[in-house]
Amino acid sequence: MTAPATRRPLLRIRNLSVDYGFGDDAVHAVDGVDLDIGRGEVVGLAGESGSGKSTLAYAVTRLLREPGIIVGGEATYFEWPEGTDGGDESSGAQPVPVEVDLLSSDRSVIHRVRWSQIAVVFQSALHSLNPVLRVGTLIDDVLRAHEPSMGPRQRRERAAELLDLVGISADRLRSYPHELSGGMRQRVMIALALALRPRLLVMDEPTTALDVVIQREILTELMDLRARLGFSVLFITHDLSLLIEIADTIAVMYAGRLVEKAPARALFHAPRHPYTYGLTHSFPSLHGPHRTMTGIDGSPPDLRRVPPGCPFHPRCAWALDICATDRPPDLEIGGIPANRRVQCWLHEGEHHAPAELAAAADPAGAATAADGRRAGQVAGATARSGGAS
Amino acid sequence: MTTAREGTPLLEAVGITKHFRARSSRFGRSGIVHAAEDISLSLYPGSVTAVVGESGSGKSTLSRLLARTHKPTAGSLRLRGEPVDLHRPADRAYRRTVQLVLQDPFASLNPVHDVNYILSRPLQIHGLGGRDLRESVLDLLRRVSLEPAEQFIDKYPHELSGGQRQRVSIARCLAVQPQVLLADEPVSMLDVSIRLGILNLLADLRDREQLAILYVTHDIASARYLADTIMVMYAGRVVEVGPADRVVNHPAHPYTQLLLSAAPDPESPDRDSWRGSAGSPPSLVSPPSGCRFHPRCPFAMAICSTDSPPQFPVDDGHVAACWLHDAAAGAANGHPSTATGGGDTA
Repeated sequence: MTAPATRRPLLRIRNLSVDYGFGDDAVHAVDGVDLDIGRGEVVGLAGESGSGKSTLAYAVTRLLREPGIIVGGEATYFEWPEGTDGGDESSGAQPVPVEVDLLSSDRSVIHRVRWSQIAVVFQSALHSLNPVLRVGTLIDDVLRAHEPSMGPRQRRERAAELLDLVGISADRLRSYPHELSGGMRQRVMIALALALRPRLLVMDEPTTALDVVIQREILTELMDLRARLGFSVLFITHDLSLLIEIADTIAVMYAGRLVEKAPARALFHAPRHPYTYGLTHSFPSLHGPHRTMTGIDGSPPDLRRVPPGCPFHPRCAWALDICATDRPPDLEIGGIPANRRVQCWLHEGEHHAPAELAAAADPAGAATAADGRRAGQVAGATARSGGAS
Repeated sequence: MTTAREGTPLLEAVGITKHFRARSSRFGRSGIVHAAEDISLSLYPGSVTAVVGESGSGKSTLSRLLARTHKPTAGSLRLRGEPVDLHRPADRAYRRTVQLVLQDPFASLNPVHDVNYILSRPLQIHGLGGRDLRESVLDLLRRVSLEPAEQFIDKYPHELSGGQRQRVSIARCLAVQPQVLLADEPVSMLDVSIRLGILNLLADLRDREQLAILYVTHDIASARYLADTIMVMYAGRVVEVGPADRVVNHPAHPYTQLLLSAAPDPESPDRDSWRGSAGSPPSLVSPPSGCRFHPRCPFAMAICSTDSPPQFPVDDGHVAACWLHDAAAGAANGHPSTATGGGDTA
């Protein structure tokens, strides 16, 4: 996945904070998060349960339910004029986007942007599809509400076209959700989300409930669609190994904070935050020699009692004294231009980051340096090509 | 890790089968769900056998059959070589030997009781409490690395994290000093950062206490990490059994190959090998004739749709239920890539 050096912005989140509840009992589910999504970019948001990743998405799309309250920050959506999709045409007249303030705009503005510009795919397709409506009716409803200019016939054609897009035959328009398999339901969800040609698809654990084979199929299709239609994706999951394959950029959340953000490969091969390092060492590998892996000691924090300073410090092997008292700075690192961010005292000024957190960001270099992983990789590749010949 | 194969297995299933009668007419004419067909396996002390498969493959049914919470339709069980009388419900002696760890530690621990109660009940019921019940409970907590144990003993399930809860439910199994532990997806409800902790605990119990462990999972990478032997199931049948590394590095059955190519693998350089799967697992009410995988199999032959394949040896201790490995038919001339197990050259 080749990323242009600078993408045009699509969504800009600054210092976003979301609480559940009021006053002293409030749970800080999202705590001062900055995140940018460029046009055509796939951003992965990884984190464990309770890390605030879904809350972030719900806040930005204004789908947050009580007692969730957005207590601070801003989220700006850039609505680009139609037909400026290329993203890399640098010459000629510069298109100017309309900036939409997602957090303070009027409901009517949100209604216009949501679905037609930003669409959401939820985790449980069975629970998000109305069980008493046929698939065709579900799609028809969206089109009728958002595109009044379309006649019934056009809507029917568009519905068939959408199902075709996600690899379902048009005769399924007459099916009810319960008549479809889990994978097909999730495909219908994606078709629904794409109905109004959104520029940003927010996917909240879209494949977590599915078997690996179906998950792989849907992801492959999703990436094909993205290449064809050029939308951006915010992909939320707890499965970091999946994100490394599909995302351009990965952001890692822990206890409501965005602790690290980096290009996908660099994040996997050269993590800078101790939590990310622990996560990348929590997945048993399919290749190479057997190694005893430890995961991360301790448990994710109780959000009602987040540790002071850096919330990860009780589980961190390299914790300094300052980590227990002061909130770590948000550092920009990683060469020129600085393309990574990390919230960790170990990378600040006079402190020395341990070797594990200073691996070369270049994937090839990192792999040769690290414990013969490269050898396993080559063997795996050979085995596979042998199988396909 | 060597696979111990000497001596009698602790628990053995021979041709065990489970059909469920489906009440609703929705399931079609026959109304019988063929959940598990003709499964044989042996669990040896000090070894982990992983059962890998997708949802509906029958892997959980198998663990319930071995735990005897389901009565098998056909087949037999042997405990330490002695046949088990399947017509009578499981007795205490069986329950003491074979224990089941469930998937969801949020549902499997009674929320109104504290850890002390949860762990002392099995000790009392089986008369194992000893002189000091509380001390026995503390000892159990230490065995699953919930330390300091004194801090955990008076807690209620809601005060524990997911990983700690799963440790308590493993401790509850260990209370009766079992020899066989059946772990049904023990980590899939847990956060990724603490899954390895539970897997390492199981490995530890295998090594220290010589438990025979059945590890049921959908995650083949974790099966390779923990298990000595991997058994792959598809649509209620066993399709491949072999040493863990062998099955992962040289999968012999086309379904195992499909499963491996679909698994997330950040270390794989590219994804071009994904061929797509052409379909989904079949209905268990009317499974396909012959090999149940044949409608999706890229190498399917005429015989695959008519005759169910027996288990053919592929390598030492490695078998695959696939006609491609039928030596008598000369597998190599048909589909060499599969017959060689996807790359013996590596």
